[in-house]
Amino acid sequence: MTLAGTLVLDLLALGFLLWVLNLVRIGRLYVGYGVILVLLIGASAGVVSVAPLRSSMDAALARLFGAGGPLVLALCFLVLLVAYVLTQVTLLANRLATLVQELAIRNADEAVRKPSSRPTG
Amino acid sequence: MSSGILLAIPAYNEEANIADLVARVRRELPGFELLVVDDGSADRTRAILDELGVRTARHLCNLGYGRAIQTALKYADRHGYDSLVTLDADGQHPPEQLRSMLEAFGRSGFDLLIGSRYVAARHYAGAPLGRRQGMRTFSVLLSLLTGQRVYDTTSGLRAMRRSVFGPLVRGQFLDFHAEALVYLMRLGYRVGEFPVVMSERRHGQSMYGLLSALEYPLKTLLMLVLGLAQAALARRDAGT
Repeated sequence: MTLAGTLVLDLLALGFLLWVLNLVRIGRLYVGYGVILVLLIGASAGVVSVAPLRSSMDAALARLFGAGGPLVLALCFLVLLVAYVLTQVTLLANRLATLVQELAIRNADEAVRKPSSRPTG
Repeated sequence: MSSGILLAIPAYNEEANIADLVARVRRELPGFELLVVDDGSADRTRAILDELGVRTARHLCNLGYGRAIQTALKYADRHGYDSLVTLDADGQHPPEQLRSMLEAFGRSGFDLLIGSRYVAARHYAGAPLGRRQGMRTFSVLLSLLTGQRVYDTTSGLRAMRRSVFGPLVRGQFLDFHAEALVYLMRLGYRVGEFPVVMSERRHGQSMYGLLSALEYPLKTLLMLVLGLAQAALARRDAGT
């Protein structure tokens, strides 16, 4: 891989990393998923940037699948897809949590208003 | 509201501890209002709370410790309480020490006061090795990021003023530990520690297992970094 290619991939990784971090910051991605993606991106960027690691990875991919380039692209696409699915899962989980919290607060209030049926503390 | 202070206990599967804790809280602080956030317990916790007549905010499913604390914060915020005090349901935080802590909180100018196991000795002797290293790491990190050392970043015994309810409800936090402290301190809120002696959990299991020991530092570290960014953005939006 050329130096320009390495730089492009590193920049892509950086952009992806910032996107993931921002998703966690605004609550669109659960931090547990965020940690996994950050580690994955960091490891990928490390492999791309360090020549001996990159050569080993190229050799392993070539041995396993015959061609490395298209597979790397496919993997990038897959990780993007996973990140998107995880944001949707997080969104649903956040909405569910909000609903459960609202119901809990409402139930506690009703218990206060009806001390005969459910005494309060 | 008799005192303007709400005592909140997040509880999950605490059938062995909750009755004793509620009795001790009522004995030690009879005038205070108590809310238990039952985080979807699958054991007899719910039935025991009903028998005791405790005001309970009941999660229909288990949401985790952080969400339970958030429910207590939302409740206190909406009902106009001046302060919120949280303590764990496992009996580690003796209610007998609450009155002195609340008196100190009332006198102090702190927005958040932590009941701290380590501030008196200023070291972590007695804690298991893994926890000791984790506590030290996050304490030092907090010190580097905020300029103030906080020795017990994971204590669930906390007294909070109304001023911090909003930021804590709106922000993104895990268990309201180091990541929440960094966020608040970078926004200029005052955080302090009050020395307390905590006892070991009497019955049941801790919510932190082996997997948590690996997950927790990574997640908290990420949230810590994001807390810094979040606070910087909030300060920028506020024009300070």
